[in-house]
Parts: sequence; C-alpha cells; structure tokens
Amino acid sequence: MTTVPSGPGRRPMQLIGGWEAGLAIMMVLLYVVGTILNPRFFGSADALMSLLRDSARYGVMAVGMTFVIANKDLDLSVGSTFGLVGVVFALVFNTAHFDMGVVPAIIACIVLGTIIGLTNGVLVTFLRVPAFIATLTMLFIGRGFILGLTGGQSILYPIKARDYQWFFNLGETNAWGFNNQIFIALAAVAIGAVVLAKTRWGYETFATGGNEQAAIYAGIPTRWVRIRAYLLSSWCATIAGLMAVAQDKGTSPQTGLMAELIVIAAVIIGGASILGGRGRIIGSYFGALLVFLINKVLRESWPITRTVEINGVEVQVQSTFTLPAGAVPAFIGILLIIAVLIEPYVIRRRVPERLWAKLRGLPPPPAADAGGVAIEGVQTKGAMASDMAYDARGIGKFFARRDALAITLATLLWVIGLALRPDYWWHLPNTFALLLNYTEVALIAVGLTYVIAAGDIDLSVGAVLALSGSVTAYALKVVGLDPGTAIVIGLCVGLLAGTINGVLTVMFGLPAFIATLGMFYMARGVASWITAGQQLTGWSEYFNVLGRKIGDILELYGLPDPGGFLGALADVVSVQTVWMILVAVIAGTVIGFMPYGQRLYATGGNRRAADYAGINTGRVRFFAFLFCALCASMAGLINIAYFRSFNPIAGQFRELDGIAAVIIGGGSIFGGYGTIIGALAGAGVITLIRALLQLNVEGFSMPQHWVNVFLGVILIIAVLIDIWVRQANIIGELRASLRIARRRKKEDANV
Amino acid sequence: MSETTVKPTPIIQMQGIHKSFGAVQALGDVNLKLYPGEVLGLVGDNSAGKSTLMKILTGAYHRDTGSVLVDGKATHFRNPHESRDSGIEMIYQDFALCGNMDVGQNIFLGRWPRRGPFVDRKTMYSEADKVLKRLKVDVNSVFQRVESLSGGRQQSVAIARAISFDPRVVILDEPTANLSVMATERLLETMLELKKHGVAQIIISHRLQDIFAVGDRVMVLKRGENVGDRFIAHTTEQEVLQIIVSGTPENALTAEQAVAEAA
Repeated sequence: MTTVPSGPGRRPMQLIGGWEAGLAIMMVLLYVVGTILNPRFFGSADALMSLLRDSARYGVMAVGMTFVIANKDLDLSVGSTFGLVGVVFALVFNTAHFDMGVVPAIIACIVLGTIIGLTNGVLVTFLRVPAFIATLTMLFIGRGFILGLTGGQSILYPIKARDYQWFFNLGETNAWGFNNQIFIALAAVAIGAVVLAKTRWGYETFATGGNEQAAIYAGIPTRWVRIRAYLLSSWCATIAGLMAVAQDKGTSPQTGLMAELIVIAAVIIGGASILGGRGRIIGSYFGALLVFLINKVLRESWPITRTVEINGVEVQVQSTFTLPAGAVPAFIGILLIIAVLIEPYVIRRRVPERLWAKLRGLPPPPAADAGGVAIEGVQTKGAMASDMAYDARGIGKFFARRDALAITLATLLWVIGLALRPDYWWHLPNTFALLLNYTEVALIAVGLTYVIAAGDIDLSVGAVLALSGSVTAYALKVVGLDPGTAIVIGLCVGLLAGTINGVLTVMFGLPAFIATLGMFYMARGVASWITAGQQLTGWSEYFNVLGRKIGDILELYGLPDPGGFLGALADVVSVQTVWMILVAVIAGTVIGFMPYGQRLYATGGNRRAADYAGINTGRVRFFAFLFCALCASMAGLINIAYFRSFNPIAGQFRELDGIAAVIIGGGSIFGGYGTIIGALAGAGVITLIRALLQLNVEGFSMPQHWVNVFLGVILIIAVLIDIWVRQANIIGELRASLRIARRRKKEDANV
Repeated sequence: MSETTVKPTPIIQMQGIHKSFGAVQALGDVNLKLYPGEVLGLVGDNSAGKSTLMKILTGAYHRDTGSVLVDGKATHFRNPHESRDSGIEMIYQDFALCGNMDVGQNIFLGRWPRRGPFVDRKTMYSEADKVLKRLKVDVNSVFQRVESLSGGRQQSVAIARAISFDPRVVILDEPTANLSVMATERLLETMLELKKHGVAQIIISHRLQDIFAVGDRVMVLKRGENVGDRFIAHTTEQEVLQIIVSGTPENALTAEQAVAEAA
C-alpha cells in the first residue's frame, strides 16, 4: 500500500510521545553526570544493570498505578502491600512458621493482593470514601500489620530457598547476563502499555478519568473500571513484592517504606495527570527509572577531599560524603510537588513552544486560556445531608447533632475503662496520663477542624509536629538558644510549613491531599536530617515546663504545694492541658461566633458560591492551613518538653488520629462541617481507644502496632458513618419508613 | 400604548458589544436595552451568546469593544461585586448556595452582620425572615439547612438573597430549567411580585411559555447577533420561534419598529 489520501491523516501515536523522549534524554544526561562525578560507581555496565534491576520493582508498581491515576484516583497503599507481601510469603514459607512450599506462599500473596485491591476499590467506589483517605488508611493498616506480624524483625530463609531454585532464580542474573527482574518489568510494561493505549479497557479508563459522569451516561461501568484499576495496582505491588522476595530470600519490616512516594512521583513525572484522564505506561516506567536514579544519586556516597588542620598543618584527607537518611524523602517530596505542577503550568500553558518560538525570534503561539488552568477537580460532595436537628425534640435534638456520636462514645469508652480496671482507672495518675495523650491529639484535631471545615485536608500534621520538635530541640541543644527564642523558632518553622501548604494549594491550585502529602515526606525528611547523629536531649528545665504538671512547676520554683483539692488539681493539670484549652477556646470562639468561622463554613460548603458572595476564599483557606500547622508545631514543642528529648518517631500516625478525631466529632471529609467541641470529643474518643487497647487486663495488653491497625479501621468506619449515616441520613430514612409502616398498620386496624 | 408617550432612560443600555474567545467570535455588535420595571426575555439557540452577554453585563467577562451604560452612565465592571454595587444581581442556574449552611446564613453569605467581632445572629435571622416574608416565598424557616430544601425552595432562597441587596435589575439564568411544574408556577408568581416592586428583570430561558407568562418584551440572539426584538403584547410564540429559527441580523426589527410595521 502506498498512500491513503481519503483517510483522516496519520493517527497520533498512542504508546509513546515527545514527553518520553524528553525523559530519556534527561536520564542519559543524569547518568553521564553521575559517571563523571563518580566513575567508580556509575561507570560500569554492572552499575547500569543494578540500576535497572532495582528500579524494576518500582517500574512494575508504576504500571498499576498509572491505571489508578488515569482514573482520577490515587493508591497510597502500594508501599505497604509491597512490604506485606514479603511478610506473608515469609510466614507461609519460612521453616519457623507454616513451613509450606513456594506455591502456597505465592497463592497466599495473590489472595492478599486481591483483598487489598478489592477493599480499596469498594471503599472508593461503592462506599464513596475519597481515594486518598481510604488508601492512606490502608497504608497505615498495612504498615501496622507488617510490624505486628514480624515484631520488627527481619525474617530470612536462604537455606530453604535453595530447594526452590525455579522461583528464587527470578531474582537472579540469568544466562544472558541480565537480571530476570528486568525481564519481568519489561513484560509488565509491555502488557500494560498495550492494554492502556490500545484496548477498550484503556479507553474506558481514560473516559472514567476524564469525565466520570459522561462515562456513566455512555454506559461505561465506571465503578468496575475503578475497582479494576485498584486490583491491577495491588496485583502489581504483589508481583513487585514477590520479585523482592526472590532477590532477598527474606524480608525486613523496612521493605517498601515510602515506595508509594517513589511510584506516584514516577507516574506523575511520566506524564500522567493527577486530575485523571492522561497517562502512558512507558512514560511511567521512564519516570520510575528517573526517580530511582535520582534516589540512587542522592543516597550514593561521594568521594570528597576535606582539609583538616592537624597541629597547625593543613592536611588533605580523602573521605566520602553521604546525605543523611532524611534528605532523600525530603527531595523526592519536593520532586513530587514539582512534577504535579508541570502539567498545568508548563504543558497546558505551552511554555516550551513559546520559549522555542521566542528563541528563534518568531511570534509566540498564543497561550492557552489561562483561566482554563483549573488543576483542582470539581469538589465532590457526599450525598445530601438532611436537616434532622431542625425538627427534633428533647433527647432527639442531642442525637441529631453531628457531634453527638463523639460525645456519647467518649463517655461510653471512659465507663468501659472503669469497668475493666476499676482498681486504677479513675486514679489521678491515670487521669493525668490520659490528659497528656489527649492534649497532643486534641491540639492537632483543633487545627485540622479548620482545614477540614474549609474543604481541604492536611496530611502533614504529624510530620510538622516532628519538624517543629526537632528544630526546637536542635536550637536548644546544639545552638544553645534560650527557651523563649527556641519556642519562637519552633513555631515559625511550623508556620513556614503551613505557608508552603497554603501557597501550593491556594495559589498553585494543587489538590490539598497531594500538596500536604509532599509536605508529609519533606517535613519528616528534614526532621530526621537535622537530628541525624545528634543526641537531642538534656536542655534547660525551664523549657520543659511546657510539658510539666502544675505541681512539678511549683516544685521547680520552690513554691509550697497548696494541698487538698488544689494540690490534687495541680497533680492532674499540666501546662500543656491549659495551653490546649486556651487554644481550643479561642479557636472555638472564632469558628463558632465570628465572621471568619462563617466564611470558613461557606468556603467548605460551596467554594464557588462563597466566591460569588465576595468572600476571599483563598485567604480563608490559607489561614486555615497556617492555623493547622501552628497547632501541630505547638504539639511538637509540648512533645519534646514532656519527653525532655526529641524522638524521631514523634507525631507518627498523628495525622490518622487527628483526621479520625475531626470526622468522629462531626466534621465532614467533604468540607463545610466541624466544630471545636466535636473535635475535642473526637480527640477524647481516640485517646480513650488508644488507652483502652493498651490497658493491661489480666496480664494482656495490645502492642502499639496493632493499636495503629485498629485505629486505621476506626478512621475508615468514621468516614463511612459520616458519608452514609450523617450525609445520606440512612437512620432518618429508616425512622421515616418505620413511621409510615406504623401509620399504615393503624389505618389497617381502624378499617 | 404608554411606551410612546414618555420614554424614560433605560436602566441598562448595552451598545455594540463584541467579544471573542481566541478565534471564536461569541458576540458581534450586540445591543440591549432594559427599562426600569421591565421584564425582558432573552432567548436563542444554544451558543447564541445569551449567557456571555449576561456575564459581560455583570462583569464576570470583559467585553472587547462596546459600551455598557447603567442609568445612562458608562461603566466598566471588573467583577460581579462591582455590578452588584450598581444594583445588578444575577441568579445562577445552580443557585450558588452553600448547602451546609442554613437559609439565614445563605441569604447573608459573605456579608454576615456583626456586632463587635462576633456574627450578630439575631439581626441576621430577623432580617432574613423579613426578606422571605416580603417575597412571599414558602420557605418555612430561616434555620433550615439549604441542602435539605427542594430545588424550588433552594431557588427561592437564591432569589431572596438577590432581593436582599435591594437590586434594580435581576438576571435569572435558566430559572425554570430544573423545577417542577408547581415550582415553576410559584417562581412566575415571585417574578410578578418582584416586578410590582419595580425591579427590572432579564430572564434567560428556553421555555417561551414562561417568558410569555411574565415578560414585557422578548429579545432573540442568534450566533452572537441581534435578530429581533418584540413586545410580548404584540407577538406570538409562533413568531418568536420563527425568528429563532430563521431570523437574520439583516431583517431584524426592534420592538418599536415591529409595532409600527404592524400598525
């Protein structure tokens, strides 16, 4: 055949495009620079092979993730699935556990992957839980399982693995001289690329991600399309996990930590849009290679020459320089944010074309309509909430309140605690301990209430807590500043984090969950960067006053114990409790009675309507982010003052606790609701659940990891209750139908 | 007819409006006049430029050329807040209300009265109640959450909100598009009530029978140009439909010309 003149012209390429070429060029450049800087490591073919091998697992996960992101969803659980597969394989296979063959172990892993994928998919589609909250919770639950099942220990089985060469060879170098994992990754990429670009499955995915409503009208089963993508993503994570198992012949609880960050960054860099409807598998694979290369370069130790002075003589010393561990997640977090910004601000505004035209002295092509750069998707609202409170009476009026659940639960849980341990539950030391744990959760929940009421989310609160704590500890201990200055610095760092969150979401229009997810990794990374190799403990006791009981402070200043009731009070109430209550009262007054609170609810309820009404919604949301970060950093200061040291795991899982507290307390994940009283009651529920689970009842108490798993489940349940009971008013409808049935019965009886 | 005796200054006069989006011309040389207390129906096919014209009037879009006179004075609204200050209110097709807030809070959206640093809830609810009473709409209570109201009642709240600014011109974008027959009836009553208060109205609608029920004049746009203008009293739905389908800018008549020709 020569030419077909009557056709519509050449069809556009589907599998690959200019973006992929750009990525390839960038990788080659990066590799060349790496080779020049560090020939020992990058110069050999082995190095290239090991790079391809280690990135293979991320490449496989990126294949599944591309389907999810093209659907306008997100899967944060891949990293924990990846790790959990290793643990489950080890449990089934290892001699010390079930001691079965490889095949049952693989089947167990596939079953696990299927369960996780299905759970994610069903939560996100049928149960309408926002994707980031559902999969973030799955991430935490998965991590909890990994730690709980392994007890934090590595499990290795190199000897037994020798009997199953056919499987474990998959992780080894083959006869052609390259690792089998590279082959597996290429196969997964090839299949995924064809399916996404050439088949109906792929077309359905793009339609669902582009405009789900239109796809539904066109008869596409969008729920199944989305569940399918979650299944693919989780199966890809399973395959990646098995690849790691085959290579390592064992597993460690650290496996797959932060893999979700690398994979999501890879897919976005590979050209997929976080807004859905765009993405190519080959681009994602190139993205995975690039991110992994950057990751490797950052983790690599560089040979440097240091000048050391010995006895007045300057001596050149050869040594190596390695970035501290925390730097890597910090950089990749930044990379993720930049990658998300590329699509709306560079591609859609046609910056490269315009720049190229300008360089050649030609008139630049017109920029796309700048107003069209709306990176945020449409606010998805839950079902209509109905107004139960309006016509309820008496006790019904209380239960119609959105925070009734939290208040009731908090009371109930305290009574349960009393029933389980009547010997000590009500004692002062226990009450003091409860209040201490309560303060941290409550402070974070108060801040989060603002952000969630404005229709945003802040996933970085726990990390900001750690960041402020570490910076303050560093200022106190290493720099040796006085407590007052250190506190100011700590709070300023928190405000800075809040400002970055606010700028990214409000000014650059990033979805809040992705901006604060970036901050989550950046703040944690910087916190462990600062504290690397430092013993951050032992500073002025006057700073630690922030975390002390009133009684201790009286002692510190040499004042007499008042005794009696006041003495008891001084033994229970601490500075941090007072501080928290003060913050809560101010925050509650502002949100409940001042115009700013009304603006906040209006913004969260319907941002466009609020804009039309002349509310500066950008400013409202910005202040919410600032306040939230400020609350988190206050919690950070209190944390290090209470422990008299900074612990790198400070604030871990606090984003989970905080969001759960706000939702249980009547906030809506879709925005527009949430009160401070509700948040305080919700924080009470979370604190009491943690306390109860760790309560020693007849010699048994639950380990911390399992508590985190349980709390993840609680968060999902709270969100489900919010969506299905509060918003869709299922209970109200049930009562209404009961009433109708009763009336019918009466009428029947009358007849 | 009384129109021929004294001609008041039009409250709104748009002249020679042009607007292009990139290469696409949305409006070319469009004129519009609106007199105090008049109800003007704005009809035309999809993409005729009705909504664009109204957005230019409120300042949501900026015109390329042409002038907008309010009370005979030239204006350049940069955004809807500025046109609101001149007494022009627009009610959007989706009402632009916050479902999570109650009726009173929505009527005062963005300008909640305050006492000191606090929101003055007493004033807010009593004023909101007054507005609702004045409009004679059937919203039972100012304390109800808007998302628990039906579509028609939500629209009543949106209208009440618009009225509370004491506007002289109200623009309704497809007000009957998603209302039941009952709710449409009630809306038309509300519009007549508004007219009685001397508020001029522009209705964008596809349903001619609604415009014929309450309107004084109907104006037809086609592909961004005027193709005709008729007094309701001197025309029929049939004629207006004909203009929509086959009218051209060349044989367009103003309402006055049409009356003169008929006479």
